[in-house]
Amino acid sequence: MSAEAAGASPGIRACDSDQTMTRIGADESARAQSATDTERDPEDWIVALSVEGPKRHHALRRLHALLLRAARHQVRRMDTLLDGAGPDVADELTHQAADEAMVALLAKLHTFQGRSRFTTWAYKFGILQAATAVRSHAWRTRQVVLDDSSVTVDLGPSVEEYAETADLARAVRRAIDETLTPHQRRIMLALLVDEVPIDVLAERLGTNRNALYKTLHDARVRVRADLTAAGFLRAASEKGNAR
Amino acid sequence: MREQPRVITQEILHILIKDTEPWLSCDDCFEMLDEYADRRLVDRDDAHTSMVTHLEACPACAEEAASLLALIANDE
Repeated sequence: MSAEAAGASPGIRACDSDQTMTRIGADESARAQSATDTERDPEDWIVALSVEGPKRHHALRRLHALLLRAARHQVRRMDTLLDGAGPDVADELTHQAADEAMVALLAKLHTFQGRSRFTTWAYKFGILQAATAVRSHAWRTRQVVLDDSSVTVDLGPSVEEYAETADLARAVRRAIDETLTPHQRRIMLALLVDEVPIDVLAERLGTNRNALYKTLHDARVRVRADLTAAGFLRAASEKGNAR
Repeated sequence: MREQPRVITQEILHILIKDTEPWLSCDDCFEMLDEYADRRLVDRDDAHTSMVTHLEACPACAEEAASLLALIANDE
């Protein structure tokens, strides 16, 4: 029952007896309770979101508020990437991220196992969507050049043990050129040297973050193996023995 | 066409050769992120090796983990 409906109850019109006064008190209490309920999170989110009816509608509203909070928090953290875009853009990205997070979360609701608080679990969906949206917006006019052109080394003037580091840098450049596949080389250079955000690169290539991180991981393994064979890094077994 | 040549700096050098074993995917990192954040709130040292390794090697996941930690700390 809504607060308005409770206020229109017959008991309020007849206030000339103790019994009626008691009913008025109960009505006001119910109205106050109803107002509080609209601000309160469900005790069991999974049950509330799974059963049809008013409780589910209430839970969906509360969930959207949580996701909006997470998305707003994330957009604010990354606002330097939106430099000059204005508050309207930030607001639009926030709301769009919250809406998309809502869809993503509800599709995965059955996977929530209670290993964290539900609110923490929900927040991560809002944060992921908002961070991805901000990076995408920030790079929307920037070109991503995917090539495997070689790199130059600039270690700066104040590197201690310069010669040793310069040797390592040359060895890394050679390992990138000689041990990686063209695809691994392009992905590694784009992500780590050009600093293209991984989700932006995934979007441009029509792939996903997971696949690109795997490619990068494999590339690092190859480069490290080459450097280990050349004596620049210790083998994993030696590191284990040294512990 | 590339406007400027690619340059390996001291910082990039270390990122290029970072040891990312034990392997953890971005999807698995996202899967574990809420539990990781809630536990870290109680005990700063409580963390999976693979999770820590991934967060040190993946700037996007690291930003989202730091953000989640800040948000739930704010709620406390």
